Amino acid sequence: MSGFRLPTGGRVDRSRPVRFSFDGVSYTGFAGDTLASALLANGVMLFGRSFKYHRPRGLLAAGSEEPNALVSVDRGPGRFTPNLRATNVEVHEGLKAVSQNRWPSLKTDFGAINDRLGMFFPAGFYNKTFMWPRSFWDKLYEPAIRKIAGLGDAPTEDDPDQYAATHAHCDLLIIGAGPAGIDAALEAAGTNRRVTVIDEQDEAGGSALADPSLWQWLERSMKALNDAPNVTILTRTTAFGYYHDNFIGAVQRLTDHLPDDGDAPREKLWRIRAGEVILAQGAIERPLVFAGNDTPGVMLSSAAKTFANRYGVAVGKSVALMATHDSGWHDVFALAKAGVGIAAIIDVRDTVDADLLKQAADLRITVKLSHSVIGVSGRYGVKTIEIAHNDGTGIRSIACDALLMAGGWTPSVHLWSHSKGTLKWCDDIGAYVPDQPNENVRCVGACAGACNFGQGAVIDVLPTPMDQSRIKAFVDFQNDVTAKDIKLAVREGFRSIEHIKRYTTNGMATDQGKTSNLNGLQIASTALAKPITDIGLTTFRPPYTPQTFGALAGHAKGALFQATRTTNIDSWAEEHSAVFELVAQWRRARYFPKAGEDMHAAVNRECVAVRSSVGIFDASTLGKIEVVGPDAAEFLNRMYTNPWKALEPGRCRYGLLLKEDGFITDDGVSARLAPDRFHLTTTTGGAARVLNMMEDYLQTEWPDLNVWLTSTTEQYAVIALQGPNARKLLEPLVEGIDLSAEAFPHMAIREGAICGIPTRLFRVSFTGELGFEINVPTAYGRALWERIMAEGDRYDITPYGTETMHVLRAEKGFIIVGQDTDGTVTPYDASLDWAVGKKKLDFVGKRSLARPDIVAAGRKQLVGLLTDDPNVVLEEGAQIVADPNQPIPMKMIGHVTSSYWSATLGRSIAMALVAGGQDKMGETLHIPMPGKTHTAKISGMVFYDPQGARLNV
Amino acid sequence: MILIHCPYCDEKRAEIEFAYAGEAHISRPVDPSTYGDEEWERYLFIRANPKGRHHERWRHIHGCGRFFNAVRDTVTDKFETTYKAGEPRK
Amino acid sequence: MSDLLTRAEPVPTAPFAADGVTISLAPPMARYSLRARQGQALETLLGVKVPKKIGATEGGIACLGPDEWLMRAPAGTSIPMAAGLAIAVTDVSERSICLCVEGPRAAQLIMSGCPQDLELFPVGKATRTIFETVEIILIRNSNDQFHIEVWRSFSSWLWTALTTTASH
Ligand SMILES: [Zn+2]
Repeated sequence: MSGFRLPTGGRVDRSRPVRFSFDGVSYTGFAGDTLASALLANGVMLFGRSFKYHRPRGLLAAGSEEPNALVSVDRGPGRFTPNLRATNVEVHEGLKAVSQNRWPSLKTDFGAINDRLGMFFPAGFYNKTFMWPRSFWDKLYEPAIRKIAGLGDAPTEDDPDQYAATHAHCDLLIIGAGPAGIDAALEAAGTNRRVTVIDEQDEAGGSALADPSLWQWLERSMKALNDAPNVTILTRTTAFGYYHDNFIGAVQRLTDHLPDDGDAPREKLWRIRAGEVILAQGAIERPLVFAGNDTPGVMLSSAAKTFANRYGVAVGKSVALMATHDSGWHDVFALAKAGVGIAAIIDVRDTVDADLLKQAADLRITVKLSHSVIGVSGRYGVKTIEIAHNDGTGIRSIACDALLMAGGWTPSVHLWSHSKGTLKWCDDIGAYVPDQPNENVRCVGACAGACNFGQGAVIDVLPTPMDQSRIKAFVDFQNDVTAKDIKLAVREGFRSIEHIKRYTTNGMATDQGKTSNLNGLQIASTALAKPITDIGLTTFRPPYTPQTFGALAGHAKGALFQATRTTNIDSWAEEHSAVFELVAQWRRARYFPKAGEDMHAAVNRECVAVRSSVGIFDASTLGKIEVVGPDAAEFLNRMYTNPWKALEPGRCRYGLLLKEDGFITDDGVSARLAPDRFHLTTTTGGAARVLNMMEDYLQTEWPDLNVWLTSTTEQYAVIALQGPNARKLLEPLVEGIDLSAEAFPHMAIREGAICGIPTRLFRVSFTGELGFEINVPTAYGRALWERIMAEGDRYDITPYGTETMHVLRAEKGFIIVGQDTDGTVTPYDASLDWAVGKKKLDFVGKRSLARPDIVAAGRKQLVGLLTDDPNVVLEEGAQIVADPNQPIPMKMIGHVTSSYWSATLGRSIAMALVAGGQDKMGETLHIPMPGKTHTAKISGMVFYDPQGARLNV
Repeated sequence: MILIHCPYCDEKRAEIEFAYAGEAHISRPVDPSTYGDEEWERYLFIRANPKGRHHERWRHIHGCGRFFNAVRDTVTDKFETTYKAGEPRK
Repeated sequence: MSDLLTRAEPVPTAPFAADGVTISLAPPMARYSLRARQGQALETLLGVKVPKKIGATEGGIACLGPDEWLMRAPAGTSIPMAAGLAIAVTDVSERSICLCVEGPRAAQLIMSGCPQDLELFPVGKATRTIFETVEIILIRNSNDQFHIEVWRSFSSWLWTALTTTASH
């Protein structure tokens, strides 16, 4: 119990006490507190356990650079957020926070054995130890590591919260509302520029919040900005990433700080496009590297000042300072004035500014120049520190309950680096500062290197008389990397800082090196005996601080995950118990089970109904393209494999589309409506791809053609009526079209009306039966469907889904592009030679059909497959071998592409791609499946009505 | 998310309105049958893939719908220029 | 006989009202995709003025691309189909529906998913663009009123996305 609430001071609202809990213990803080300040005020020093050694850790910082005090906040089922920094969590009534990385409790942690075994956990330990034997990894190493390592626990339930997102545009985006950012905003206020200011804290002000002498200025400035109509201020908003063309990702936290979340979105993702960006992110104080620097109670000097001045909390009753920089002295003077006892100021430097010495003397503070801290005692909190003269003599102890570190300042260049701005080394402050921008961006204030905090010395590791190889002096607190680890990496041959980073993990994970980067570089520089500028710099990557997946996903979950496209008839299918499947983005009825039916029974019934009477099918999802213009036929002739110029208006043709490499990419039946107008159809999944491909050729290869393409997929609802009774059913509904076989043959199109609605009526069949596809304006699809259902009652009309459609087409040997082809199948491979115009000089893909590999023997070819046991339905995707007795790995000569039970034929049927298959008719092949290897004979692909007699009626 | 200047719309628009369409200035032969196998292979498969200035095609697919050409630096991801399809290589 | 079949719309026909914005389904209309190398050819065909600049609208005709226009007219309007001419007229009346987004928060609502800078998007402008993953045509009729043309099958997703966001 060291920290305590000062009797006065701070910006917290002492009239509004707030009750919250940490690890099940109830505490009271004030409105305006963070979890860190409130716990500190309650004397809590121990906040977490470290990543690797499970060492007890307290607060290092007061802001988002905090590496140690990672906590989880529990807001109820599914609302468990790990890895929040206690310094960023605002307390509110009922807040429930728990510590992480400990088991069973923070004070008694099993994993802390790692710390005792520390000598066995050097840099690269995981890489070295767990390499062998391989089989130990899954069973032993990984589960064990997962148990004791890692940061926090991932929640397992679905996230019930809502998240919002938006795009936003501004002329000037200012990131960071500290004094420099506010000054920049004031300058732009009242101009005609759209200005947005974002700041990660609950209150604008940045470092001014910890400096009461600036509070009046702050209030005045914020009033001016709030009054300026061209300025938008977003607090609790973290700019986490800076992307190309001044595109900034930011997350605004909307409800986590409220006791009652309500239904409002929890967080909002801002995608901001800015004309100019001003980065005013400030600077982060550097810790110092010495033995025991991770003991709870050892923290940044500026953090102690922030806790005192902003939150009215003293970090200890007797506080010592270890400084290499003037700023720490000023902080300690401020603490002393706020009523905090100061044990001593220790400074590694031999001389400091006389004014500092005078102020210290006036405040009666003991000062030890040319000294360093060489040890800290107290496992769960600082009890005493040991100091020594830089020459190693004069070791003595000082009692204190907190030790502050003032190691100088590192400009926050994270976002600058995301934007690919270059950095230059600045000797004065011992840090990298922004140099050349890569975007329209500039840095102001401390992040530009303008840290007016006084002078300092840059020192990698504080001098110590101790054996440096036996002490743990931490560099990266979050990743548990010590100075020793970095030196070891250098000894083991790592030269590049990027490699040293990965080997030691320094500067990785959620922390991204905020407090560790510069010290790591300094130590590596010394170890390599090279100037720091010669060893390079690691890359800062987004996110600046961890963000929730929820914020990044926005509302894209559940029904809004992605658009599920539905047809006009979909609602009818839903009301009639259809089972659906997704085809591309479309939701399609797969089958319509009656009570007690499984898929098998339903599909059998639907198939038989189509073949014996009439079935009705929603084919609206088929892609449609209207091709219009004087050169329409010429264009299609160049695109498709078969000839189009001679096709008469009113007739249809099966079109096969190849890519330029000769492989099938799409197919569909298309109709010529007029000399200069075609109605194309494509596969459901291929619609957008085909239109894009055709536009590509039209715009860039043949821009001279007078023809235009328009997607009409959604202009029409399409109802397929298939079966011997289709014509009889349709006849009374249609006006102006003679449906007789003579007037309206197979593969023809007529325009007229159905039930008073204009229609493009196709006589086509994907089932092998007499069939029609009725195209009507989409809005009337469902109404027409219901009319046909009513009229069809006398024929026992049966709605069928995609599964039945698949079986019926397979019985006829019609391929489905993408199922029976896979992007390596030519028309010849698919036995579609008849669809290739032999006399055509050119079409897309023609030249490739003469490529050596395409004409070579032994290509995989599409064939029929009939199992010797007619009751066996092969698995689609099953591999095929010629000899089942060959040693494993067997030579696989193909695979099953389509396989169904055919109720019509009373047996199974299949299609397969088999090497040289067309020359193997009648041969027996073997299909190993779980439990048994099946045999099947290669056949033709048309299993039903090979003469097409049922079509020509 | 980069901004891309569409030479038809004459506006800079967000990347998500565009689709990438591969290397530019590879035109389909007027009569592919005159191409030998190696020549056809080059046309079909071989691409420059340079480090640095790359001539490439984009389509303003969720905008004016036009294919156009661009010079983009593959190292910096910055566009040097964009120009209409059919215009000479820049 | 046509009155026997009724239209079915993919989104509610009742407007959705939230603080500062309403979203409603516009009544059915005739829509034609008009394609030609020059707007002049269309003017000759239709006898009306056609906007020449991409993004401009005039008398219900929007110029969407260098050779592409979208004509929106009262339901039932028919136009010549330009048979034999170097012009393509295609009926797309039922391909999309139109959502009318209106109110002082209209622009803000649309920007939740659309990357266009609507503070700089003038009245009278029309463009094809995108809302999250769904393509739309966005038309600004007035400062506070937009029309969003969206293909029918995507419209229920868009309706849900807009109404959910509007209610936040
Ligand atoms: Zn464009």
